Amino acid sequence: MSRINKNVILALLTLTSSAFLLFQLYYYKHYLSTKNGAGLSKSKGSQIGFDSTQWRALKKFIVLTSSQNVPVFLIDPLILELINKNFEQVKNTSRGSTSECKFFCVPRDFTVFALQYHLWKNEEGWFRIAENMGFQCLKIESKDPRLDGIDSLSGTEIPLHYICKLATHAIHLVVFHERSGNYLWHGHLRLKRHIDRKFVPFRKLQFGRYPGAFDRPELQQVTVDGLEVLIPKNPMHFLEEIPHSRFIECRYKEARAFFQQYLDDNTVEAMAFRKNAKELLQLAAKTLNKLGVQFWLSSGTCLGWYRQCNIIPYSRDVDLGIFIQDYKPDIILAFQDAGLPLKHKFGKVEDSLELSFQGKDDVKLDIFFFYEETDHMWNGGTQAKTGKKFKYLFPKFTLCWTEFVDMKVHVPCETIEYIEANYGKTWKIPVKTWDWKRSPSNVQPNGIWPISEWDEVIQLY
Amino acid sequence: MDDWKPSPLIKPFGARKKRSWYLTWKYKLTNQRALRRFCQTGAVLFLLVTVIVNIKLILDTRRAISEANDDPEPEQDYDEALGHLEPPRRRGSGPRRVLDVEVYSSRSKVYVAVDGTTVLEDEAREQGRGIHVIVLNQATGHVMAKRVFDTYSPHEDEAMVLFLNMVAPGRVLICTVKDEGSFHLKDTAKALLRSLGSQAGPALGWRDTWAFVGRKGGPVLGEKHSKSPALSSWGDPVLLKTDVPLSSAEEAECHWADTELNRRRRRFCGKVEGYGSVCSCKDPTPIEFSPDPLPDNKVLNVPVAVIAGNRPNYLYRMLRSLLSAQGVSPQMVTVFIDGYYEEPMDVVALFGLRGIQHTPISIKNARVSQHYKASLTATFNLFPEAKFAVVLEEDLDIAVDFFSFLSQSIHLLEEDDSLYCISAWNDQGYEHTAEDPALLYRVETMPGLGWVLRKSLYKEELEPKWPTPEKLWDWDMWMRMPEQRRGRECIIPDVSRSYHFGIVGLNMNGYFHEAYFKKHKFNTVPGVQLRNVDSLKKEAYEVEIHRLLSEAEVLDHSRNPCEDSFLPDTEGHTYVAFIQMEKDDDFTTWTQLAKCLHIWDLDVRGNHRGLWRLFRKKNHFLVVGVPASPYSVKKPPSVTPIFLEPPPKEEGAPGAAEQT
Repeated sequence: MSRINKNVILALLTLTSSAFLLFQLYYYKHYLSTKNGAGLSKSKGSQIGFDSTQWRALKKFIVLTSSQNVPVFLIDPLILELINKNFEQVKNTSRGSTSECKFFCVPRDFTVFALQYHLWKNEEGWFRIAENMGFQCLKIESKDPRLDGIDSLSGTEIPLHYICKLATHAIHLVVFHERSGNYLWHGHLRLKRHIDRKFVPFRKLQFGRYPGAFDRPELQQVTVDGLEVLIPKNPMHFLEEIPHSRFIECRYKEARAFFQQYLDDNTVEAMAFRKNAKELLQLAAKTLNKLGVQFWLSSGTCLGWYRQCNIIPYSRDVDLGIFIQDYKPDIILAFQDAGLPLKHKFGKVEDSLELSFQGKDDVKLDIFFFYEETDHMWNGGTQAKTGKKFKYLFPKFTLCWTEFVDMKVHVPCETIEYIEANYGKTWKIPVKTWDWKRSPSNVQPNGIWPISEWDEVIQLY
Repeated sequence: MDDWKPSPLIKPFGARKKRSWYLTWKYKLTNQRALRRFCQTGAVLFLLVTVIVNIKLILDTRRAISEANDDPEPEQDYDEALGHLEPPRRRGSGPRRVLDVEVYSSRSKVYVAVDGTTVLEDEAREQGRGIHVIVLNQATGHVMAKRVFDTYSPHEDEAMVLFLNMVAPGRVLICTVKDEGSFHLKDTAKALLRSLGSQAGPALGWRDTWAFVGRKGGPVLGEKHSKSPALSSWGDPVLLKTDVPLSSAEEAECHWADTELNRRRRRFCGKVEGYGSVCSCKDPTPIEFSPDPLPDNKVLNVPVAVIAGNRPNYLYRMLRSLLSAQGVSPQMVTVFIDGYYEEPMDVVALFGLRGIQHTPISIKNARVSQHYKASLTATFNLFPEAKFAVVLEEDLDIAVDFFSFLSQSIHLLEEDDSLYCISAWNDQGYEHTAEDPALLYRVETMPGLGWVLRKSLYKEELEPKWPTPEKLWDWDMWMRMPEQRRGRECIIPDVSRSYHFGIVGLNMNGYFHEAYFKKHKFNTVPGVQLRNVDSLKKEAYEVEIHRLLSEAEVLDHSRNPCEDSFLPDTEGHTYVAFIQMEKDDDFTTWTQLAKCLHIWDLDVRGNHRGLWRLFRKKNHFLVVGVPASPYSVKKPPSVTPIFLEPPPKEEGAPGAAEQT
């Protein structure tokens, strides 16, 4: 061996080792990124079949819930979507006849189930049994929002979420509570200080970022990958609800403070108006929901909800907003059939449409149609006498669910911006004399209807 | 490399370092042996580095996984607001093994301080006379029970004996006398005090002051006593300061099997005292009852609201009977506690029920009334699907067939608009005036005391106009007002399905209870089949009454209706008597009759269109007010209605306002 050879060998060795190190570094990086992308199961992840930990965790969970009578149903968006796509197949497969694990074995971080709390009889023992079966469970509790509307009640906390982990797979159990207005509500997943933040990748949970509201789904039993589960009868409808399920609570505390300052109007007339307005709102909601037209509380009704969690007794009408793209000509007919004749119609679909219906006992239902521009929304107003047009500008908003007079209704999520646009910064102070042409802080003159169009755009009944 | 030494010419540091390395290498390479060694070393080093890097890689990967799982933003999304930071746990200072207890006894003031914290202080005038007893947990020093026994008055010493006997062995007992505690302290009680090791207790004399600290069944930890020098004066105030050694938590607890139920029991028994055998180590009373389910239970999903105040012992008794009733569903039960009281909440938790506390808003009756409103509103919020709610109070025993009774009758509330409520309580159903557990009545009054409320009635009528806090009204009186009741009636059983045992209460005292509630009949027969429930509907009931009146034998109206002989000594007959009742609101004669029959006479209860139905000597006894009642037509012309003169107004009529 010559001296040079040895040098070469040495250099080669060094090179190899550096290459090896580099490879390791590269692999390490790559590894991390896959980790971020696909998640837990994939990393371990080779077994995609009935012997995967995921499937086994699910099977255990389903056995647990059925043996303990835990009323759960599957709401996992990923699986529901798959089931929805292969609905016929799922419906036709009977138990045990599946040869391939198609749904439950699709790799994911969590499987989400909903728990119908009001049907749950034996809350206590369940947790321990789950733990004995090998699940590691986390329970997230909070105070009951259904008591918030009532003066100074404080109760036992209610469970909002359970997260149960078996080996690498976690099951997220979203607790659905019944609320007045025939809907189901789930809470915000809020971690308390002492909770282990690394228990599961909380960030990737699909439910719990906000509280949510859902129509009470009808359920059906299906066999998915050899496991019997309950799923919503109409998975499509449920899936559509998920992205728009965000729920905001009325600000009961502020409302109480408001009533301490201004006292509630409990006269017979005020109570009668509230009752009528509530009935009118319920009727309008029923009619629009039947048509599938999305609406929200607007103007005074929205202010009443936000400021005092109730109908403002001197407001004399009920105000709703609808996006113009949701307008259907059937609306007028449907309201007529519901016993609410059209009182007036201003504007046209292309511009400043506004409908008014006459409810009983002189309570009016105003429907404002909202037009979307690039940076704002607006609705129009028309003065019948002069044909003058007005425009009310609002910052862009999205819709959230809330509960109002025992109903699940939409309100703008960005409520404060919406209300301040309409009523200015002083919205907290009750104003009894209101001029719709001048008082709103977002009103703008918008020209005048050409006289030739008056017959069309100013219709009074 | 032992043989290799750096060239002494070359300095290891400084500018020439590089060169030195080069030289070393060159020098090394020139030497075969050195080379081989170098290669070996290099290989070893390389292996080492690889191993280290690999280990680091594994470690890093692990960390990275968990970091990846941990979101970067959760601080905002999921964390509790900063204000909700949990208070730091008290740790480190080590458990204190000794309690410093101060007990003061005097004529006008008593107080007890544990480790500087006052746990009892009573210097109110005309109140709190007698022996104050405090029970401390021997392991934690927490106050588990606080009682005062007015042993100046009769029978209170019996209550004290009962209580002290219930206290678990080992607990720390503190006794102190305020004003006078010996007058009715009988031998049994004195013997018990002696058995506790007290010297002065058994010898306690008139107006003596006395302070005592001891362990139940264990040593006396301190005692002071001052004799009253004369009948007209009190003993000197005594202040007892003593150290109480704490024992370990293990000793203080019983060794029950580790079940969910016993975990509740353990939590409860570690906190409070005075609930008897529920905390007994050997043979504890069950806290789960699993009564037989009710077949075809129509009220399984009807929420039950228990309205409670701070009478935890009552609540305990009440919940026991409620949870033992056939057909109860515990998850439908909610206990509403008026105030931030811990002990009632502990009782609720013991039974694994839902408890809700209500910050008091108003005073006295208005407070009760606001509590009712909040509780009812909350009940319908919590159970939005419910059409009814059962309303109970903490001082009621619930009959074993309470839910069976409701299950059989609840459809009436749905089908008959002329009904206001279904109540388990018959105001006139005393031992001597109620007989038939299968029989139901319609009455114009609202008895309360275990009743069913229709949601629509509450939501549409009552809630919006519920009396505001500044109106000091009783909720039940308000509900009975014609503006609210609007001519509607309640269904009640002849034999009550609830029993009012409360003696201490807002409108309640021992005398009042004895006179009006103690002798109330209470059904104890399970599974009673109610008779002819549909005949309770508005029209059907009139037919039924007419039938009854037609077959009823008219009593001899010349006799004194207050005499027992007014009714013949028969069984199973139906009799009718006619009394004077000029107008719809003329109850002069009825009130006198009620008084002499020893039934409820403080206001008019249990009437239906001027007709009262009760039992006398196992005969059905009907009383018709003539001429106001439409049933007056059934009066034979020969009969003159009975008229009873009200006694002349006298002072000192029972002062207690009616309240049930």
